[in-house]
Amino acid sequence: MMRINPVRKWLGVISLVAGMVLAWHVPARAALDKVVIGHSACLSGKYAKAGEQAFGGIQAAVNWVNESHGGVSIGGKKMPLEYKYYDAESKKESVTSLLERLITTDKVNALLAPYSSGLTLAGASVAEKYGIVYLDQGGASDKIFTQGFEYVVQTIGPGSKYHTGTLDLIKAIDPKATKVALAYEDSEFARSVMDGAKEHAQKLGFDIVFQRTYPTGVTDLTPLLSALKATKPDIVLGGGHFEDGQLFNRQMADLDIDAKALSLIAAATLPAFYEALGPLADGVMGPSHWEYGVTFSPVRANQAGLPWIGPSQDEFVSLFKAALGKDIVPDYHAAEAGAAVLALVMGIENADSVDSDKVRKALGDLTFMSFYGSWDVDETGKQIGHPMVNVQWQNGKRVIVAPAAAKTGDIQYPMPTFAEKTVKE
Amino acid sequence: MLGEQLLGNLIQGLVLGCVYGAATMGLSLIFGVLRVVNVGHGAFIMVGAFTALLLFNVFGINPILAVPVALLIGLGLGFAVYYLVMQRLVQAPELASLLATFGVGLLLEETVKQVFGSEFRGYYWSVGQLDLGVTVLPMTKLYACVGSVLVAVLLYIWHRKTRAGRALRSVVEDAEGARVCGVNVNWVYAMSFAIGIGLTVLGGVLLTMFIPVGINPYMGGVYTLKAFVIAVLGGLASPYGAFFGGLVFGIIENGSYTLLATIEGVEPFALTRALSFIMLLVILLIRPTGLFKTK
Repeated sequence: MMRINPVRKWLGVISLVAGMVLAWHVPARAALDKVVIGHSACLSGKYAKAGEQAFGGIQAAVNWVNESHGGVSIGGKKMPLEYKYYDAESKKESVTSLLERLITTDKVNALLAPYSSGLTLAGASVAEKYGIVYLDQGGASDKIFTQGFEYVVQTIGPGSKYHTGTLDLIKAIDPKATKVALAYEDSEFARSVMDGAKEHAQKLGFDIVFQRTYPTGVTDLTPLLSALKATKPDIVLGGGHFEDGQLFNRQMADLDIDAKALSLIAAATLPAFYEALGPLADGVMGPSHWEYGVTFSPVRANQAGLPWIGPSQDEFVSLFKAALGKDIVPDYHAAEAGAAVLALVMGIENADSVDSDKVRKALGDLTFMSFYGSWDVDETGKQIGHPMVNVQWQNGKRVIVAPAAAKTGDIQYPMPTFAEKTVKE
Repeated sequence: MLGEQLLGNLIQGLVLGCVYGAATMGLSLIFGVLRVVNVGHGAFIMVGAFTALLLFNVFGINPILAVPVALLIGLGLGFAVYYLVMQRLVQAPELASLLATFGVGLLLEETVKQVFGSEFRGYYWSVGQLDLGVTVLPMTKLYACVGSVLVAVLLYIWHRKTRAGRALRSVVEDAEGARVCGVNVNWVYAMSFAIGIGLTVLGGVLLTMFIPVGINPYMGGVYTLKAFVIAVLGGLASPYGAFFGGLVFGIIENGSYTLLATIEGVEPFALTRALSFIMLLVILLIRPTGLFKTK
């Protein structure tokens, strides 16, 4: 048996005690002088378009918090909000490693998720591992909230609600429309949206005549759309992300597939959609979380009995343009990302701490209104307070056609045929 | 109904296959002459796509006229990349040229991103359509298909009937022998690389005529993958093989969808991709030199 030298033994004991005493007296963390929010942004790669918008929205909200709100109030002291980000290149592996870096090296106080449901899900496990609040601003899949995550809090509306307004609207104006076709990207987000749409359509009495998926990164949808055409649907609900939404619309036109209504998720609401497709986009609808023109104000917040926080819509637009240095109007990706920052600030101020558990609890109890609309989450962290809007392209302009309280024009139904829209050269 | 859909998809696949083939010939030509695998292939496709996009959206120039412009840009890029980068690596281990072409591809993508941003763009050009009964073909797709066949024929004539083509074949046969006979081997390498890149950039224009949306600095990745399958299918070193490989790939990609859709509980689109790679493996097992390589 090995014998331990008594001198070494006592040296070990003394070192241990000294270490414990030092640990007791040295504060675990330096005094809090700022709040840091970390983000694995999608500034390049396939989600770069939405990622740039989210980045601008976050910067706009952070600037508003620091310049107009005076910072984040904790313990009666206002401290600056700092935004720390890295480009995750829209890649899953980069998201997880960068979140680890933000938590362990940069010591951020809370995290903003990247864009898309898949990337949000990938990063959620890292946030859970370290027990840090993880603000989901661009991941709509309902699946995120069935995993038992404790620190994920959503600002974007859940995917299952995307098409409910569209279907309600069509049911009300055309009871004869019965056939619905669903063709969508095989992604977490699109599956979640279409599962919700299918359930709601069946509840309303629609027949699902076609339901197929296509892989991410697809470059030709002709075979799928040929099969869809054969079912002669009244309503086509499709898409997944921006690039395949463009392709979907273009190839429906190529194959002369005319439906009474076409609604595409995550693509049809963006100006770049019309820029790429021209008149072929007229009549196409898309669900949106926010559109410029939807007016939420302190007065409406007061009427709804909710506290108001954040800039007005026009202030947000100015801050967004200044943050990006570009003269572009923010879309819903920017608005929901900005609103997530505002929610965090309210959560921290209500908790009077940056402690993740306290902030998470405060976010669970929080309801408020901002330029983005109302905000409330259920016990899983899923957004339940935010209403969707429906947008339709009409002669090159985006018109909000639902809900009635927010609409800027009437729906064009049935949508014009592709032959009517095509301008031959 | 199923027969009509199948026939319609086969026609669509044939048209798309021609464009795939034309967009892959450059990859095969470069490998055939220089034994360099151009991993940056997709980035050059992207350059072609942006050429068509910009000429149309900014100057209103018809995408058909963008084809010769893209060829010239591709030739210029090809010569520049050859003399600045590849010349030193022709005799180097494969990994060096692999990394170099990968790096050039990244450089092109990031440069385009810095200049034009990372949005997915597109252009709207409509010149009517042809209703075949079983399917509808926009004229833009037909133009792309005819353009692809024309490019393949012209390459064949150049390769077989011209002095430069003969010089190229002699270098492929035996570089040292060709050098002894007075062929400027370095010039042949440079010319082959430039023509290969020219064809690839031109292929990018043809692809946008087929699908005029989704144009983005990173759009090339998916075409690089397809091009490798097509090139191996046709015999990696054979440009004509690549063209026919493209045809086979397009037909299988589109045609198999209709057949796979008849299987209950199967998502056919996911399987069409798997089928393309299974087909590649089978062909490599049976004919390791590719479908169209005779020796």
